[in-house]
Amino acid sequence: MIGLLGLFVKLSLFSLIAFGGVNALLPTLYDISVNQEKWIDADTFIHYFAIAQAAPGPNLLTVTLIGWNAFGLAGALLATLAVCWPSCILIFYLQRVLSNLQHIRWKKTIEYSAGALAVGLVLASAWQIAERINASWVAYALTIFSIVFVLVSRRHPLYLIGLGALLGLLGFI
Amino acid sequence: MLQKSPTQLFITFTFIGLSGFGGVLPWARRTLVEQKKWLNAQEFNGLLGVCQLVPGPNIVNLAVWVGERFGGMRGAFAAVAGLMLAPMTVVILLALLYDHYGQFEQVQGMLRGISAVGVGLIAATGFKMLKEELSYLPMLIVIALSIVMATVFHLALGWVVAVTLPLALLFAWNKAK
Repeated sequence: MIGLLGLFVKLSLFSLIAFGGVNALLPTLYDISVNQEKWIDADTFIHYFAIAQAAPGPNLLTVTLIGWNAFGLAGALLATLAVCWPSCILIFYLQRVLSNLQHIRWKKTIEYSAGALAVGLVLASAWQIAERINASWVAYALTIFSIVFVLVSRRHPLYLIGLGALLGLLGFI
Repeated sequence: MLQKSPTQLFITFTFIGLSGFGGVLPWARRTLVEQKKWLNAQEFNGLLGVCQLVPGPNIVNLAVWVGERFGGMRGAFAAVAGLMLAPMTVVILLALLYDHYGQFEQVQGMLRGISAVGVGLIAATGFKMLKEELSYLPMLIVIALSIVMATVFHLALGWVVAVTLPLALLFAWNKAK
């Protein structure tokens, strides 16, 4: 019971600082759940990240699985709820404040600065996560190929996930 | 203003959630703007900008906003529930499979391969977002600074934000002229 409460509180706080979404703060999520709270071990974290990426749905499902790993179904539900509720309330009120804000320049200043911050966090996060999960040069090559593929091709990312699964199955990664 | 029933919102967002392989946002845009035409492109961009201002999962924020706008409080709940319930079920079923078959080397290899791709997808999203920032080059200093602080010097997020935010606000104020 105490454990579940801790999960809910910690992940709620995590959500409050997760500018740019859950994946932008994946390194922080890793530190909290693997190093500090020991809800999950390092390998399982990486595998659950892969499962959440391969499954349809929002990226935050990694968090659902961390809760699942630590406390079963109740953990999965509470972890998901924890990561969603703070921003749901914030967005509800922010929408009102922003649509009532008359000063256009201020409005744009807020949007632009938040946007730039989010870009930096997402790119830094990708870098840090790559350092943690990519164990071989083939894995790095696959990561770089995926980036290029998404930027230049209009094909569905599902092809990439299939390719990654295939290369891994054959023992290349 | 256009109104949608909670059931309609629930079904629409269930569909968006279940199509979202490798990120839900592109599918949300496709469904809400191109297919159902509930929002026009301009409205969608503005909405997304605000959803990115708020910490937490952007796509959930988007569901709250769209749900609220078309169906009030009940609509917001219906949209978020639709977005989350089916994908949560799928992912938990996959985790159950993992519990049984996760120890096999082939399965672990597949998951390593998929996570290498997953990181690439996150980085690619970052680069796409970066394209929007090229219209005002000084902002790139802020972005570069935050990346270097986080990756090279391993500073905690609080420090990164504390140092870059004043600079970001200053540049943004000029950009907004």
